[in-house]
Amino acid sequence: MNRILEIDIDNIQVMVEPGIIQDALNDALKPYGFFFPPNPGSSAMCTIGGMIAYNASGMRCVKYGTTRNYVRDLEVVLADGTIIHTGSKMLKSAAGYDLTQLITGSEGTLGIVTKASLKIAPLPQTRKLVIASFENAEIAGQAVVKTFSKGVIPSACEILDRVSLQVLRRYDPKLVLPSEGDVLLFEVDGTESSAREAAEQIMKICSPLALSIKLAESENEMADIWAARKLVGAAVSRLDPTKTRIYVGEDVGVPIKKVPELLKKAQEISEKFNLPAMKYGHIGDGNLHLALFIDVLNKDEWDRLSKAADLIHRTAIELGGTVSSEHGVGAARAEYMEAQWGSALEVMRAIKKALDPKGILNPGKLGL
Amino acid sequence: MKNEGKKETEQAKELDKIEIRVEKGKEKLFEVDRRSVYKCVQCGTCRSVCPVFDVVGWESANTRGRMLIIKSLLEGTLPSEDVLPSLASCTTCGICAAKCPAGANPPEVVEAARAQLVKCGITTEAQEKLKSAVMTYGNSLGETQNRKHWLSEIERSQLPEKSDYVYFVGCFDSYRYPEFAKKTFKILQRYGVTLLPDEQCCASPLLRTGFREDAEKIMEHNLEQIIQVGAHTIITSCAGCYTTLKNNYPGELRVISLPEFLAEHLDELKLKKLDLTVTYHDPCHLGRHNKIYDAPRKVIQAICTLKEMKNIKEESRCCGGGGGVRIGYPDISLELARNRLKDVPEGVDYIVTSCPLCVRNLRDAGGDIEVIDIIELVAMAME
Repeated sequence: MNRILEIDIDNIQVMVEPGIIQDALNDALKPYGFFFPPNPGSSAMCTIGGMIAYNASGMRCVKYGTTRNYVRDLEVVLADGTIIHTGSKMLKSAAGYDLTQLITGSEGTLGIVTKASLKIAPLPQTRKLVIASFENAEIAGQAVVKTFSKGVIPSACEILDRVSLQVLRRYDPKLVLPSEGDVLLFEVDGTESSAREAAEQIMKICSPLALSIKLAESENEMADIWAARKLVGAAVSRLDPTKTRIYVGEDVGVPIKKVPELLKKAQEISEKFNLPAMKYGHIGDGNLHLALFIDVLNKDEWDRLSKAADLIHRTAIELGGTVSSEHGVGAARAEYMEAQWGSALEVMRAIKKALDPKGILNPGKLGL
Repeated sequence: MKNEGKKETEQAKELDKIEIRVEKGKEKLFEVDRRSVYKCVQCGTCRSVCPVFDVVGWESANTRGRMLIIKSLLEGTLPSEDVLPSLASCTTCGICAAKCPAGANPPEVVEAARAQLVKCGITTEAQEKLKSAVMTYGNSLGETQNRKHWLSEIERSQLPEKSDYVYFVGCFDSYRYPEFAKKTFKILQRYGVTLLPDEQCCASPLLRTGFREDAEKIMEHNLEQIIQVGAHTIITSCAGCYTTLKNNYPGELRVISLPEFLAEHLDELKLKKLDLTVTYHDPCHLGRHNKIYDAPRKVIQAICTLKEMKNIKEESRCCGGGGGVRIGYPDISLELARNRLKDVPEGVDYIVTSCPLCVRNLRDAGGDIEVIDIIELVAMAME
């Protein structure tokens, strides 16, 4: 189940089996000058099937959107064995419910995807990277809001707080990163002139708020920074071998305007429970990865961790956000679905019951 | 190399075919260093590089799967034969450790877990066969011949009893590739190097597959021999022996790999230039595990043109010969070797390596280009 069944450049789409790895798909599309844009940090190991099930997105979501923006049609095996197609190669359709969107992000609770037709996008001619540091994460958040409100939409907009930077330096000592403050990475893409113009605009907008700001000097420098950024979440142990990053409360998201507030509250929560944390994430789409790390052999730290995670989830909901922006709900965040969705959760339950009356598909997930 | 998920291959089925031995009445307590297990955050970076997963396709046959299984054993799942196909199919090549963002060392964890399973009396028939060969005959191949059969009786009788330097031949060069041993020793003898009076297997096969107590007995025997000869330095041409002598033997033996020795004495060897282009396969236990990348390249480049493989040094792909996988899962092992041969560049006369296990596996994989040990290339340049 890992083949590319069709590369249909005329219709700007591909048909794949769900087991294909995202990087493998993009390697195959590159000679045609196209790519499948959703860009999770795990692109070297995540499957397209998993990306569809969890509506994965990643670093370039701010410009290119999430997986669901690219799914045209799915072949799905339903709980009773019926095989359906949810869409077609059409760019648009006004006929009936959009089952493609229903299945995307349903975490395997409604059916099993066995084929997917995906929209693809032309590869940009060039990419440029602006690296800016700020006195604190809140000011960095303000710089992001200001940039967007001036009408500049980067292809990626990431935050790395000072702890994340320490981790990255341990992971790859060659990396050239600002020595102080919390850092924003703005990537812009397009033609040489449009990308340069956008990068210059970002530098102009952010300069008054920044401690330092510069353009990455080479493609290699950019590639090294992105490669390290993709793995930062797992690299906490490089800083302290007795600590392990635990993936709880790690994927909250809020509207962009609320990002500075979320960053402030995340810092307060980390301090309140006396748990070291790394803050990084896709700040351009409001998605913060708060990485709390503990000594896994210490029970007290586990207790504090679960309280901190609970508070960060509830904070995100209060700020009008979500408990999961791209990692999904599964069982880990199921208890927050009621708080986030209210009566809409009942509609989800009704759908689940209609399509999977015996509850055999990924039971216990999504709080259904 | 990208893994593309489950592959419906015969190799995947091989995992279900192994014969398993469960000894009743053995303890079921499973304990390995928890911190090194919990370092893994299941990010899956290893999934994209694990060569066994690349062939088998099941999650349980990649590092993340193995770490999860070991974690569940730590957290109370009773050790049983069900975990063997996962834990016994790791070649311990270490590419997962090299790539792990969290700095975990899965091969060490897997070896410790295998040792625990041995304690619990849960082993594969292949493991038992390997152990029995080493403990009965002193070599991993079950050979009954004199280990120094490649020397004449007169040559054996003339070996110095004392020397600062000892050539540790290893099971493979002793029995499968005695011509490598002869050529190696011919050079080393010029420097007054001798052999151990009664060398036995270095214990690598036992350590990699979990028989730690047995391994200790063998290591003790070899150490006694080293003391008897009075050697302060061991030279070996096998990557498996090298890493074991250097990293697993008690105390701090000075161990030199053959490529290092050759590189150090290049000027004295008076090597001819040969009109050849070769490529070099980094053995995992010499390269990734011990960072010996430059010495073999220096030797090769002193003789002929080196054209590198697609993945080299830290990125080098495993030949499939290590960790007990060749004996336990020969089809998987050879498929790994075939995958490695895909990295060989066009237009080379030989694939050179510096480990007899790699030579064997890459040869058995059946490529078009001859696989030779570095000592053979050196011998050609000395003719």
